[in-house]
Amino acid sequence: MIQLKNITKVYGKDSGQEVTALKDVDLIIEKGDFVAIVGASGSGKSTMMNILGMLDRPTKGEYYLENREVNSYKDDELAKVRNKTIGFVFQKFHLLPKTSAMENVELPLIYSDRKNIKGLALEALKKVKLEDRASHTPNELSGGQQQRVAIARALVNEPEIILADEPTGNLDSKSTLEVMSIFQELNKSGKTIILITHEQDIAEQAGRVIKIQDGKIAEDYRNENPRSASEELKLVDVNE
Amino acid sequence: MNNKRILISSLRILFRNKLNTLFMILGIFIGIAALTLTFSIGKGTEKQLMDNVKKQFSSNNIYIGAGRGQMGGGPTSQGPANTLKIDDLEAIMNNVAGIIMYDPVQWLPAKEVIAGGNNVTTMIKGHSVESEIIWNRTVQKGQFFSKAEEKSAARVALIGSKLATELFGNSDPIEQQFRIGNIPFTVKGILEDKGVDAHGFDMDMDVIIPITTMMKRVMNVDYIMSASLMVENVDQMDETVFAITDILRERHYLSENETNDFSIMTPVEVKSVVEDMNKVFTLVLPLITGIALLVGGIIIVVMMLMSVSRRISEIGLRKAVGARKKDISFQFFIEASLVSLLGGVLGIIIGTIGTKLLASSMDYTFVIPWQTLILGVLIPVSIGMIAGIVPAKKASKQDPIEALN
Ligand SMILES: Nc1ncnc2c1ncn2[C@@H]1O[C@H](COP(=O)(O)OP(=O)(O)OP(=O)(O)O)[C@@H](O)[C@H]1O
Ligand SMILES: [Mg+2]
Repeated sequence: MIQLKNITKVYGKDSGQEVTALKDVDLIIEKGDFVAIVGASGSGKSTMMNILGMLDRPTKGEYYLENREVNSYKDDELAKVRNKTIGFVFQKFHLLPKTSAMENVELPLIYSDRKNIKGLALEALKKVKLEDRASHTPNELSGGQQQRVAIARALVNEPEIILADEPTGNLDSKSTLEVMSIFQELNKSGKTIILITHEQDIAEQAGRVIKIQDGKIAEDYRNENPRSASEELKLVDVNE
Repeated sequence: MNNKRILISSLRILFRNKLNTLFMILGIFIGIAALTLTFSIGKGTEKQLMDNVKKQFSSNNIYIGAGRGQMGGGPTSQGPANTLKIDDLEAIMNNVAGIIMYDPVQWLPAKEVIAGGNNVTTMIKGHSVESEIIWNRTVQKGQFFSKAEEKSAARVALIGSKLATELFGNSDPIEQQFRIGNIPFTVKGILEDKGVDAHGFDMDMDVIIPITTMMKRVMNVDYIMSASLMVENVDQMDETVFAITDILRERHYLSENETNDFSIMTPVEVKSVVEDMNKVFTLVLPLITGIALLVGGIIIVVMMLMSVSRRISEIGLRKAVGARKKDISFQFFIEASLVSLLGGVLGIIIGTIGTKLLASSMDYTFVIPWQTLILGVLIPVSIGMIAGIVPAKKASKQDPIEALN
C-alpha cells in the first residue's frame, strides 16, 4: 500500500544551514498494518509522517501510494488524497475553538462531495463513543475526549490510512489507553494505522515497531502479541 | 457544492468571532453611511437649488440686475442701483433681435399689508402683465391684472394663497380690499402655489401688483431693480448679451473705463453658478467619503490579516483534511465580502435614516439617489473583495506543517 524508496529530506537548503532529517529511507507498509514509529527527539519521525501524509514533499526519492508515485500528483490531487485516503490525528488535537464536536468532525466533509454530512459525523462520533457530546465545544471536553473528537474527524471520510503524530503525547494514562483501544479497534476493522510515540508501552500495543535514528531506520520488528489497550483499560477501571 | 459548504462554515466562524466581525463591519459601515449621507445631501441640495433656480429663471430668460457688483443668483447688488429704467428695456426690445418680451421688476422685501384687523409684513413685487408668461406664474383663482390696469397704475393685486388665508381667513378674497401701507388695493386673483424660493422666501405669501403701480404709488421711484427678457433663441445668447450691454452702456453714458452699472445673467450663467456651488457636493464630499471608505478597506485588510495569523492552525488543519488552496482563499475572500456587504447594507440603512432625519429637521426635500443605493452595495463589496485578496492569498500559501506544529 505504501512504499518509500530512497526517501531523503533536507531542510534549510535556501538558508545554507542544511539539516538532513531523513536519509535514503526505504520502507514498505502493508494494508492493515499497525505501525508505531519510535525514536529520539529530532530523529526524523515527524518529517517522515509529514511526507507519508503528503503535507510535505521529499527532497529526493520516490513515494508510492497504492502504486502511484506521489511526485506526479498536482497540489489539488494531493489535497484530494488528504481528504479521502488519509486521516490525521495530531498531538495538540487542533480542534476549531468555539465549535461543536459535531462540526469539528464535519470539517473534512466540507471539502468532499459526500452527502449526509451530519449523519456521517454522528456515526464517526459513535465510533469514539462521544455521540452524547456532539454539541459540546472543545473547552467543554477533557483532553482525552478532545483527542477522540479529533480521531472521529480523521475517520469521518473513511480513509484507508490514519496517521497520528504523538496522539497521546498530551494525555494522561487512562485517556491514552482509551485512544489506543480505539486505534486498535480501527486496525481490526482493516484500517492502516501509523502512529508516532515516545513511549515503549504504546509501541508494544502496535503490531509493528519502526525505530528511527538520525534519519535512518535503525530497527523494524513485529510484535507477535501486541498488548491490548482495551484489556488494560478494564484493569484501570477495576482499580478505580 | 463545496463552495456552499465553505460559505456556511465561514458564516459560522464569523458569527463565533463576533467582536472581530463587528469591527470589520463597523469599518465599512462608517464609510458607507458617510457615503450615503454626503451623496444624498449633495444630490438633495443640488435638486433643491436647481428647482429653485428653475422656478426663478425659465431657461430662455435673460436676467438683468441693476447696480454694480456680482449677483449671487438674486438681485442683491451693491452701489447705486437707480439707473435701470423701463425705457432701457423698451430700447433693448426695439434694437436687439430675438427678444420676445420683457418683465421689469421692482420689489420691497418687507412691507405691512392690512385687511380689517389683520396685518402681515410680507414681500411686495411689482411686475408687468408679461410676468405671467416670463415667470410662468399665473393665478389659480380670479384673474391676472390687465395691460390696461398696468398702464393706468391701477390699485389691483394678486396675492399668494397663504397670505390670502392670513388676511381674509376662510372668506373668498377675490374683490376684497386691503391696504399696502396706506394705499387701498383690490384683490384680483390668487397666485398659483410655488413654495419657498431660492432665498428662502415663501412665495405663497407674495403680493404682486402692476409694476407701474409699484413705482408710482408705492415706492415713488422711476427706476427698476431688475428685469427678465425672454429670448427666442438660446443659442445666440452671447451675441444677445453683447448687444444688450452695448445699449445699456450707451444709454447710461458709461465711459470706457467705467464698469457696467448693471449685470446680466443668462441661463447658462445661472447654471454655472449652481454648478460651482455643487462642486462642493460633487467633489469635496465624495473625497471625504472616499477617505472614509479607504479607512474602512484598510480596517478590513488589517482585521483579515490578523484573522489569518490568528487562524494559522485552522488553515493548516483545513489543508490537512483536504482543503485546496482555492478553497482556503475562497473562504477568506468570502468572509471579507460578507462582512463588507453587511457593513454596506447597514451603512445604507443608517445613512438613509440619517438623511431623512436631516431632511425633516431642515425642512428640505432630500432625495436618495438610486446611484447611492447601487454604489452602497457595489463599493463595499468590491472593497471587501480587494481587501480580502491579500489575506486570502496569504492564508492559502500557509504551510500546513508549520501551522500544525
Ligand atoms: N521546517 C524545518 N526546518 C528546518 N529543520 C527542520 C524542520 N523541521 C524539522 N527540522 C529538523 O529536522 C530534524 C528532524 O525533525 P523531526 O521534527 O522530524 O523530529 P522528530 O523525530 O519528530 O522529533 P520530536 O520527537 O521532537 O518531535 C530535526 O533536526 C529538526 O531540527
Ligand atoms: Mg515530532
